Amino acid sequence: MRHGVGIGWRHPHYGEVLEARPPVDFLEVHSENFFGEGGAALAVLAQARAHYPVSLHGVGLALGSAVGVDADHLEQLARLVDRIEPVRVSDHACFARGPLDGATIHAADLLPIPFNGEALDVLAGNVQRVQDRLRRPLLVENLSAYIGWAVSDQTEPAFLAALVRRTGCQLLVDVNNIYVNALNARIAGAQADPLQACRDWLDAIPAGVVGEIHLAGHCHVADEHGEIVIDDHGSRVSEPVWELYRHALLRFGAVPTLIEWDTGIPPLSVLLDEASTARTMAGQVNRPTARNAEVVQ
Amino acid sequence: MSASGQATLAAQQQALLAALWAPDTENAINLIAAYAAPMRAGGQKRLELGLRAYRAHGRELAPRALAGAYPVMAQLLDEENFGALARAFWLAQPPAAGDLGQWGEGLAGFVQRSEQLADEPCLADVARVEWAMHRAATAAAAQVDTATFGLLAMRDPARITLMLAPGVALIPSMWPVVSIANAHLRQEPSLEEAGARLRAGVAEAALVWRDGLRPCVREAVPAEATLVQALLRGASLLDALAPASALDFNAWLLEAVQQGLVTGARALAED
Repeated sequence: MRHGVGIGWRHPHYGEVLEARPPVDFLEVHSENFFGEGGAALAVLAQARAHYPVSLHGVGLALGSAVGVDADHLEQLARLVDRIEPVRVSDHACFARGPLDGATIHAADLLPIPFNGEALDVLAGNVQRVQDRLRRPLLVENLSAYIGWAVSDQTEPAFLAALVRRTGCQLLVDVNNIYVNALNARIAGAQADPLQACRDWLDAIPAGVVGEIHLAGHCHVADEHGEIVIDDHGSRVSEPVWELYRHALLRFGAVPTLIEWDTGIPPLSVLLDEASTARTMAGQVNRPTARNAEVVQ
Repeated sequence: MSASGQATLAAQQQALLAALWAPDTENAINLIAAYAAPMRAGGQKRLELGLRAYRAHGRELAPRALAGAYPVMAQLLDEENFGALARAFWLAQPPAAGDLGQWGEGLAGFVQRSEQLADEPCLADVARVEWAMHRAATAAAAQVDTATFGLLAMRDPARITLMLAPGVALIPSMWPVVSIANAHLRQEPSLEEAGARLRAGVAEAALVWRDGLRPCVREAVPAEATLVQALLRGASLLDALAPASALDFNAWLLEAVQQGLVTGARALAED
């Protein structure tokens, strides 16, 4: 597995990265932004691929959808994978597709799924279908979820570990998402310390199955309706998330790590500064992933 | 997997989608309440906040996503009006694909049926031009097959046709849509000139293609518009040229190949 720290590469930084070629270990892009058969976006990505490993991170497969994965979407992703030969391909443990007024729509969001056997069956089936088509393992990311389902009967880590056992996929652990969920749980009245709840979450994930870590910022929204924490990818990584990242490194080893920033995108230097912090932490931990491999029970 | 289990999951997901597209938050809560996590103290409030967050995301995303495909429409309508149009369109025609760049094809028809925009009848055609440019932007690169032009000399024009580059589109209009689009995208002509043509009732047929990596639009003269429309339908060269006799075909073809509009010739399938 390739280690290192990468950045989410978004439109405002296309030119600067190609020109300055900053020292990042990989670039991660949203797969769907490059689904066209040609044109400027694909040409830019091909240029970047000549200089950097590229990780394709999807936001649209909707792997937990009961109606299944969109065959056209999967074909477009497969063509992009063939073109770019990415270092990793990932998407989310969410749903977005389903029926509305007689048509199948896509919500363009990462909507939560319950953590139970039925949802696992659907998710595993869809992940397997994607992996079969792409002929490579997929990385599946945990969500920040703003509503919960009554029918969940497992913890999220147990659910994700079972997904790995069923499909052979890997996990993309978004540390910020775990923390956002813990903060919202506290606002809702949960008694557990958010940081400890997150450590427990990380400790419940088998160490050898994590192929990438995401780090990002979040925001607190408080208005007349109440308070909620949103995973907006619009600020620097918070101190508690850095602390949890250190914990994750100790548990999972120095797996590839991404700095994500998607709203209010700052100068490239800010992303590189965050990446430098992550790299320093990973270097301090200096624990190769191979030693951490566990048999997933 | 049990059929009932899958049906339950499908019903949960359908309920959440219905809640996100419900006209108001109260309706949304009612749609999803039966499936949401057991309520602790304040649980109703948490559900409402969570739903508000998801619903707000879609409504904030819609103008940004639509402006990516319709930059001229976004300028013609101010930010508030374009935002309102995008949110109304989001509710009426939700995305069908996970690539949000593919959302928006129906905007022209939606605008045409809009009572609020009835005073701006050119907008629907501007939207058609912009969608064609949006599609051209990601079309496959044109591959010119020079050798196939030999067919023009060797074959009966009734049995061959011209190959147009991926993304080529022709949008006839009663309005100066090319001037309006280029005034906003390239400042050529000026906004004043485009406005004058609009007031004068000038009609323009828009020819859309991609020049290298850049989607372009220019006006097609009537004979050219007729020819390109026929070629897009797959007509033979003979049939395509018949109503376009005013066109100097050889001069047009040379320019069209240089511009990347035409990529070659091909024989039509025998009957």
